[in-house]
Amino acid sequence: MPKAPNSVGLVLFPAFDWCISPSHPEREERLLYTKDQIIEEGLEDVGNIRFFNPELALEEDVNRVHLCVPSARRLLTDSHFISAGGAIRAARAVFDKEVEKAFAVVRPPGHHAMQTVFGDRGFCVVNIEAIMVEYIRRHYGIRKIAIIDTDCHHGDGTQDIFYNDPDTLFISLHQDGRTLYPGSGFLHESGGPSAPGYTINIPLPPRTSEEGFDMVMDRVVLPVLDDFGPELIINSAGQDNHYTDPITNMNFTAQGYARLNRNLNPDICVLEGGYSIEGALPYTNLGIILAMAGLDTSHVREPDYDPDMLRQSAETSRYIADICSQARQLYHDRDIMRQQFLDRKTVVENKQLFYDTTGFHVNETRTYHLCPQCPGYTEVSSGGRNRHLQAFCIPFNSCRTCQTAARDRFARTPKAHDIMIVLQDRVADIYEKK
Amino acid sequence: MIIGIDVGGTHADGVRLEGEDVVAKKKVDVDHNNLKETIITLLKALLPENRADLQRIQLSTTLCTNAIIKNQLDDVGMFIQAGPGMNPEFLNCGRHTYFQSGALDHRGQVQRAPSEKEILAAASTLRAEGINSIGVVTKFSYRNNTHELWMRDRLADRFSHISMGHRLSGMPNFPRRVYTTWLNSGLMTRFSAFKAAMEEGLRSLDINCPCSILKADGGTIPFASGCEFPCQSIHSGPSASVMGALALYKDLKDTVLLDIGGTTTDISIFADGVPLLEPYGATVAGRPTLIRALQTRSIGLGGDSRTAWRNGTFIIGPENGGPPMSLGGTSPTPTDAMVLLGQLHIGSVEKAREAMRLLDPSRSAEETAAALLHCFAEKAHDAATEMLDEVFQRPVFTVSALLEREKIQPNQLIAIGGPAAAMQGYLTKRFGLDCIVPQDYEVANAIGAARARLTLQASLYADTKSGRLSIPECSISEPTGRNFTMMAAETRLASAIQTMAANMGMGEIPPIDIIERLEMNTVSGFSTTGKIINVKAQLRPGLANVKE
Repeated sequence: MPKAPNSVGLVLFPAFDWCISPSHPEREERLLYTKDQIIEEGLEDVGNIRFFNPELALEEDVNRVHLCVPSARRLLTDSHFISAGGAIRAARAVFDKEVEKAFAVVRPPGHHAMQTVFGDRGFCVVNIEAIMVEYIRRHYGIRKIAIIDTDCHHGDGTQDIFYNDPDTLFISLHQDGRTLYPGSGFLHESGGPSAPGYTINIPLPPRTSEEGFDMVMDRVVLPVLDDFGPELIINSAGQDNHYTDPITNMNFTAQGYARLNRNLNPDICVLEGGYSIEGALPYTNLGIILAMAGLDTSHVREPDYDPDMLRQSAETSRYIADICSQARQLYHDRDIMRQQFLDRKTVVENKQLFYDTTGFHVNETRTYHLCPQCPGYTEVSSGGRNRHLQAFCIPFNSCRTCQTAARDRFARTPKAHDIMIVLQDRVADIYEKK
Repeated sequence: MIIGIDVGGTHADGVRLEGEDVVAKKKVDVDHNNLKETIITLLKALLPENRADLQRIQLSTTLCTNAIIKNQLDDVGMFIQAGPGMNPEFLNCGRHTYFQSGALDHRGQVQRAPSEKEILAAASTLRAEGINSIGVVTKFSYRNNTHELWMRDRLADRFSHISMGHRLSGMPNFPRRVYTTWLNSGLMTRFSAFKAAMEEGLRSLDINCPCSILKADGGTIPFASGCEFPCQSIHSGPSASVMGALALYKDLKDTVLLDIGGTTTDISIFADGVPLLEPYGATVAGRPTLIRALQTRSIGLGGDSRTAWRNGTFIIGPENGGPPMSLGGTSPTPTDAMVLLGQLHIGSVEKAREAMRLLDPSRSAEETAAALLHCFAEKAHDAATEMLDEVFQRPVFTVSALLEREKIQPNQLIAIGGPAAAMQGYLTKRFGLDCIVPQDYEVANAIGAARARLTLQASLYADTKSGRLSIPECSISEPTGRNFTMMAAETRLASAIQTMAANMGMGEIPPIDIIERLEMNTVSGFSTTGKIINVKAQLRPGLANVKE
């Protein structure tokens, strides 16, 4: 059997006994054909490829990232703990040096889950990458992390969670929000007051094909990564940019996903969306795995693959080139943008979040308490479904002054019967409710 | 009465059983160049006076294992249809490999037809080169065998042996299917010749009872069927010893079996009295296969392992260090420690003492010997623990399986092989378990061979949207209704297994275990279009019921 040049760990967990509802895209069958393809290829016997079962994430792993209303235990099923635990297992495999890289092929996905969680959004309850990222920071002391989200839908949850963190570079490549759920992910959403330029959105026009993605990689992702210098690169490896995906309109391919991963060279991939379960996922997942392992991907082609049928128009190419240069400019101007906020003590943002799976709204106010030394702390006030939350969140990279300020604010906030008051302290690794 | 024969590396043992009792036994030296004669000699000594009392003969033979080790396989012409996926160039089946166009997908749907021109061109070349054995394999043939059958049909009148992947196993894993098919084809000539010689020998002894051979999975297969699947008789030695343990000890719950030899120790595991099987199959000559096999882990640790003392630790094995010093060798081995401590009554105690002094001059020879044997037990324990961990860590794919899996906690240890008795105390201490060392174990292998019964595994895959079900192991592919259910699938598969077993001459069929069930709705758009039902069932390895 061949031996892979790079050792890769696979957490392959299709959760054949879990679904949102029987005919929902996020159903038992979703990874059936992917699993069949991976097993039939004999990847279990390829040298340097190792399979790991997921573990169950703990409530504290979830609470380190999310503010679950009323609680993680009430909102998550075993499957969610396993899916997040699958991402954690992949990370542990890498950081405990069992393998060089790892891919968590798990479900349900997570990148639409925001910091506050009142229910299921876009098939996601908790953000499995974010839970993994904070687990890594907590247990392995890693600071600078880049997350490249190649799902076709904007990674709005991941963006929300790391929006004000200059140590997390978040780049999302997705179909333009004017044409697809969740309707966000425009260039101007470029990071909070302490981290402007560290969120980079690349909204791509429908029918973007391999050349469009190659262009974004070459012109934005790779040079920005090079400059940012992360200690860890994560790919939120959604695969619904595929030309056969039933709920999106792009023209990406297995060959394209394989090439993207070879160039990106991520340490960890985590599966996100991808709902062409027969025509795409078996090939895109295999392509990504082989690319990570450094094996030949040239034979990983969909049975009906024809690159000539999937060329993008010249106009699309020009449009993407323009988006790329604007995105580069944003990253380039990040220090200038940060200057604008330096004389302000707080910045307040309001948003309304829609939970599409059950259908309700949550109104949220986020107050960034700024600090010249660190990203500051954040106060979150949120309400919906007759539940209210007020939280004080201390990021892992905050200074002592901000830590103390947030802890004081929490201590001084009076208990109220109709509001859940929370201290989320990532420095002390404490999650306290009153 | 049953005769069981186990052909080993140097000796061949045979027993005649009446019920569970050994009524005759015999040991002879093995002539690997004439296995048939070895076996016939044993049979002559074991035959009951009245030939009619003999119900059957069961044979564990090294024929195929040796052919592989000695590289005596036929050259095989391989026709491989890989379709999309990994680059198949790595598949190493000798010089005569022909990759064919055409493709099936993961659901067994035909994506591209194979090419008649390609296959005929390759066939002509192979004919010209004098190749007679052919292997035909497609990716996903366990879902749809039509391309393998199509290729077979185009080759059948030109070659004497054709093995098809889907007939050898209903399990997934394309590279393993390729290697299994290649091995099976490569063994055809040798096995057929052996069978012919044996049949002639049996006739000359006036024996006409059924004769079976032992397989790697601890079960048997009739000689006649063995001819179609010779690869299944590899690794039958270890499976004879596992079945022997099962026959000797009635109440094996969760047990670790250590077979300690001169060079290696083989570890096997029983869970609730049933020997564990490899998830896919045996690894043969470095190639993974789908040959169903008992799970055995072999480590380079034995009585004659090369031994050194370096930086405060013993290094034992993995290679053989030649004969022990107590038996005239030149370097120390664990056997010397056993001899010195009086655990093994062979060779020279003085030489053994010298060996221990050579190993570590700073301690007394007795201390060194005891420490070495502790270390030996430690290594066996580590390997067994690792194996139990691996079993626990086998991938699972459902939430319930992940939450319910439990680690095997062995409650006893059985040690066999030359150094076993000498190691008993050390193993008991290190494992913290009772360690049983049976006497005269070589005979137990033959008993194991005698008591094994037919095993089978088959799998059913139904896709009600396409309206078909298949059971690859018996080339069944038939239409099925849209309302096909799991219960109907289990019934269909059980009846297929019963038919297969009956065709192989099994009278009383033991209970059929369902070992895997998967049922899933298939959805297109937002409506359910059908169901995929996947069931795997087996006649598990076990002992044949004996009639008193």
